Amino acid sequence: MALPRWFPVARKEATTLLRSKGTWILAPLLVVWGYGPTYISWDILGPDVTVGFIQVAGSTLLPLCVLLLTYRSIIQERTSGSLKFLLGLPLTRTDILIGKVLGRSVGAVLPFALATVVLGVIGGVKFGLFSPVRFIGVFLVTVLYIAVLVSVATAASAVTTSTVRVTAVLFGGFFLLLTLGWKIVGVRLYSAVTGNPVNPFEPPADGLLFAILRISPGRAYRTITNWILGVGNSGGQYTSVIEVLYPGISTNEYVVDAAFSGQPVPAYLHESIALVVLLLWGVIPLALASYRFNRGDLA
Amino acid sequence: MTSPAIETDGLSKQYGEVVALDALNMTVAQGEVYGFLGPNGAGKSTTINLLMDYIKPTSGTARVLGYDPWNDVVACHQRVGICPDRFETYESLSARRHLELVIDTKRADDDPRALLEHVGLADAIERPAGEFSQGMEQRLALAMSLVGEPDLLILDEPFTGLDPHGVALVRDVVEAESERGATVFFSSHVLGQVDLVCDRVGILYEGDLIVEGTLPALRDTCDLSSDATVEDIFMRLTDGSAHAGEMDT
Repeated sequence: MALPRWFPVARKEATTLLRSKGTWILAPLLVVWGYGPTYISWDILGPDVTVGFIQVAGSTLLPLCVLLLTYRSIIQERTSGSLKFLLGLPLTRTDILIGKVLGRSVGAVLPFALATVVLGVIGGVKFGLFSPVRFIGVFLVTVLYIAVLVSVATAASAVTTSTVRVTAVLFGGFFLLLTLGWKIVGVRLYSAVTGNPVNPFEPPADGLLFAILRISPGRAYRTITNWILGVGNSGGQYTSVIEVLYPGISTNEYVVDAAFSGQPVPAYLHESIALVVLLLWGVIPLALASYRFNRGDLA
Repeated sequence: MTSPAIETDGLSKQYGEVVALDALNMTVAQGEVYGFLGPNGAGKSTTINLLMDYIKPTSGTARVLGYDPWNDVVACHQRVGICPDRFETYESLSARRHLELVIDTKRADDDPRALLEHVGLADAIERPAGEFSQGMEQRLALAMSLVGEPDLLILDEPFTGLDPHGVALVRDVVEAESERGATVFFSSHVLGQVDLVCDRVGILYEGDLIVEGTLPALRDTCDLSSDATVEDIFMRLTDGSAHAGEMDT
């Protein structure tokens, strides 16, 4: 069976990333960033606190670095003219985008996988044997999240004509507003739409509020990983979710189980829907970009 | 072998108000070496960009080896080799990796070393292209264009940035590829090189193909002696002085 047409492009992209030192610096950074046991999370999770480290590593530093490793992948080739080699090959432009996304994803996943192994060893030694199913589950969801981030960055890189613009859109819009700051931005958006003020320590049991919060790819990612960890239905960091549900502690995180205590929870707030949200982030921007990339002038 | 290697009909490209190419009608027969000449800004690169699907036309049609160059890209590029103009190579990848990218995508069975030997770069096979001089990058691109014995070789300004050895190399490559049966289509604003290699030339001037034919025929048309060069023909056709200063001979 022949390899797909885009395979050599994917191999080139992965090779390019894995030969750069910046890619591998990601591994130790993620270990340092992710490792952070707390007494309360140990109390609830026991040895599985190690699995939570992966989520923390995947939450802020990972998306930033994955975007940094990807956002120039097409605009740079357009500016330098090397894209003429790829476009001159027997490939459709969609093939080129697929090769870019998959190759860069592999290139970004490998240092993350290394960091995961190190976190697993450190956590395993210090806190005992964790659930391998949860560990692998959270790892795989993070791999999916990386592919989604690469897909978004590639899409932006494919439709822009300037590096400055793609930087602004990805880091100012996608990363800062949608990923890092969505807890604030999303709640403001909810208040603006509904007119309801929100006390972050006692959020209302309104499905719309939680649905808005959940469209952030970062919060969708944490909703799925919190589900695997079994800490509660929320897009917040697992430590905060545990604190909200822990007797006697008050934290400003939005947790479905706390807000809807006793009331029926809308079906669309089920954790599995967050997986759909994440997949849509992986597909829709790239599909839109592909539409334009296929029709535009690239030289 | 019936369809021409390249055929364009009213092929035009406009950027807003600017006409980069104005209704180009051109036919390049299979097996010929066609020199596509003209000063910078005449529309040569625009034409090649259109034929390679780097850009889309405003109007008009084209066929490359019988294929629609914008909709049958995969089938078309499988049989085309391109040496682009104004490009950079991938700085962290070795010369071998560059060739493997093309060989594997085209599913060809060429040996990267043999191709690099052909262009005088075999010594640099494992070196990252970021260390290459402009001439070496040009040679690497030429080697990449030869992968898979293309039926049509498109060389965009192949003499740019080459020393005399490099220029001789391009001529040898064109001759060898032509002998193998390939069609060679190359653009150049350096008129001095083309007399020796072309079967036929077309001269593009301000977005228009102003003349096309074999060199002897063009000399006759222009009423020039048999030792007249492409430059003489060009100067005669464009009334001498207007753009002569832009020509790089």
